[in-house]
Amino acid sequence: MTQTPHLTSESAACCWIPLFALRCETTRRPELAALPVALVGPDDTRRVWQVAPLARRVGVKPGMTVSQAIGLCPALKLCEPDPVHYDEQFSQLVAALGQVSPVVEPAELGRAYVGTDGLEGLYGAPEKIVEAIVCGALHTPHSALRIGWGKGKFVSWVAATRAKPGAAVIVPVGGEAKFLASQPLAVLPLDPDTHRRLLQLGVKTLGALVALPEEAVVSQFGRAGRQLWRLAAGLLAEPVVGLVVPEPIVAALTFFTPVGERDLLAHALDKLIDRALADPRRSGWRVQVVRVHAELEHGASWLMEATLKDPSATRERIAAPLKTQLERSPPAGAVERFVVEFTAFAPGTTELQLFARDAAAAARTGRRRALQSAAREIALRIRRPMLYHIIEVQPWSRLPERRYALIDFEP
Amino acid sequence: MVPTPRAAVRADRLRTLNVPELVAVELGADGRPAAVRRSAGQSVSDSTVEAILENWRIDDEWWRQPIARRYYEVMLNGGAHVVLFEDLAAGGWFVQKP
Repeated sequence: MTQTPHLTSESAACCWIPLFALRCETTRRPELAALPVALVGPDDTRRVWQVAPLARRVGVKPGMTVSQAIGLCPALKLCEPDPVHYDEQFSQLVAALGQVSPVVEPAELGRAYVGTDGLEGLYGAPEKIVEAIVCGALHTPHSALRIGWGKGKFVSWVAATRAKPGAAVIVPVGGEAKFLASQPLAVLPLDPDTHRRLLQLGVKTLGALVALPEEAVVSQFGRAGRQLWRLAAGLLAEPVVGLVVPEPIVAALTFFTPVGERDLLAHALDKLIDRALADPRRSGWRVQVVRVHAELEHGASWLMEATLKDPSATRERIAAPLKTQLERSPPAGAVERFVVEFTAFAPGTTELQLFARDAAAAARTGRRRALQSAAREIALRIRRPMLYHIIEVQPWSRLPERRYALIDFEP
Repeated sequence: MVPTPRAAVRADRLRTLNVPELVAVELGADGRPAAVRRSAGQSVSDSTVEAILENWRIDDEWWRQPIARRYYEVMLNGGAHVVLFEDLAAGGWFVQKP
C-alpha cells in the first residue's frame, strides 16, 4: 500500500481567524461576547493567554499574570482553556477548507493555508476561489475569517493580516513587491534581536529593507538576513504543502475453523482493530470510517460499515458501533475470514492537537478530557459547582490569603 | 463533530483561599497569646498555648488601606502548631495557615 504523495501549491490562500480559541469560547457561550474576557494559558495558568478587545482596551495584554490582569480590569472574566474543543473546531474548519482544495496546510490554531494552484479551472479568478473558500467556511461556526491570497505562504499571510473580518485581500501575481513594500517590519518572522537591530538601522518597512543591498543585509544578518530580504522583496514563495492522507489500512484474520459465535467474533474484532490502529501509517490520524467484512462458509459474504461521528483512535470507540451492528445483524453463517478496514480518516492528535505536539502534552490532553468527563458526572449528581481549580494570584504576597484563589473548574 | 457542551458555571468567579478565621485569644502577662478559643464548627476548641515558636510582623499596603499584623506561630497543648495573628490596624485575633 502506498501513501498519497505530498500535494503542493505555489499560489496560496491564507485563512486566518485571530484569537481563534477565544472565538470558540464566545461562539459556545454567546454571553461572553459583550464582556471583557481572557483565557488563562493552557500550559501556565498563572498567565493570561488570549485577551478580548474589551479587556485589551483597559490594558490587559497576553502574557500578563492573572493578578496583573485583574488589577487592571477587575471585571475581567477569566476562562479556562479547552484545547480539545479548539482542536475539534479547527479540524472542522480544515475539513471545510478541504472541500474547496485538496491542498490544505494547517499552520497554527486558527490559521491554515489553502493551495489554489489549478483551482482556476473549477472556480475562475482568485476572487472566485476566495468566494468558494468563504462559502465552504460558512458551514463552520467561524464566519469571521480573514483571507489573503497571493503567491506563496508569506504573501498570503501578510495579505490575510491586512484583511477585514469576513473579507479578503488579493495580491495579484507580480504585485508582491509593491504590496509588501508598505508593510511593517513586524510581519517578517524576526527574532527580537534582529528586529531591534533593524529598527536601530532605521528600517521600519519591508520596502526600506529591500532598498538596502541584499549583500549588505546578508553581511549583517547572515543566511537569515538573505531569507528575510528575499521574503520582503517577494522573491521567496514558499509553497503550501497539503496533508498526506493515508490509504486504507487493512487487518485480516483467517480462522482455522469457521467461527459462528458472536463472542469470538467480537473478540476478533477487537484484535483486528488493535492491529490496524498499530499500523504506523495511522499515526497522527483518527479513524472516521471503518468497514468490516467477512467471508462466510460456502462462499457467501457479509459486510458492515460504521461512520464515527467523532473520529477516534481508541479501540473501544471504534468497536462500539460495530459490535452493536454485529449483535443486531450477525453473519448468516460461520465466518472463515474476518477483515477490518479503516477507509477514511480525520486529522488526529499529532496533526491537529496544536497544543499537544509531543507525547507528554498529548497525554495531558487525554487526562484533561478524562477529568472533564468525571467533573461533568459529579456536576450532574451534585447539581452545583463543587470542583475548583487553584490558581496563583499573588504568590509573592506576604499576606497568605492573597497568594492563591479558587476558580470554578468547568468541564 | 459535536462541540463539547459546557455547563454555564461561573468560571470567572475567583474565591479567596486561606481566609483568616476570627478566634478569641487570651493574652498572658507579657501581652502574648496564652490561650486560644475557637467557636463551634471550627477545627480546634479551647487550647492553651504551650510555646511560642516564632513571631513576626507584617506591615503592608500603607499607601491605601494599611495592613499591620503581628503573627505568632504557637504550639498548643495538644501539640498542634497554629499560626495566629493580631490585626493591629482593625483589632481582633485570627488564625491562618502560613
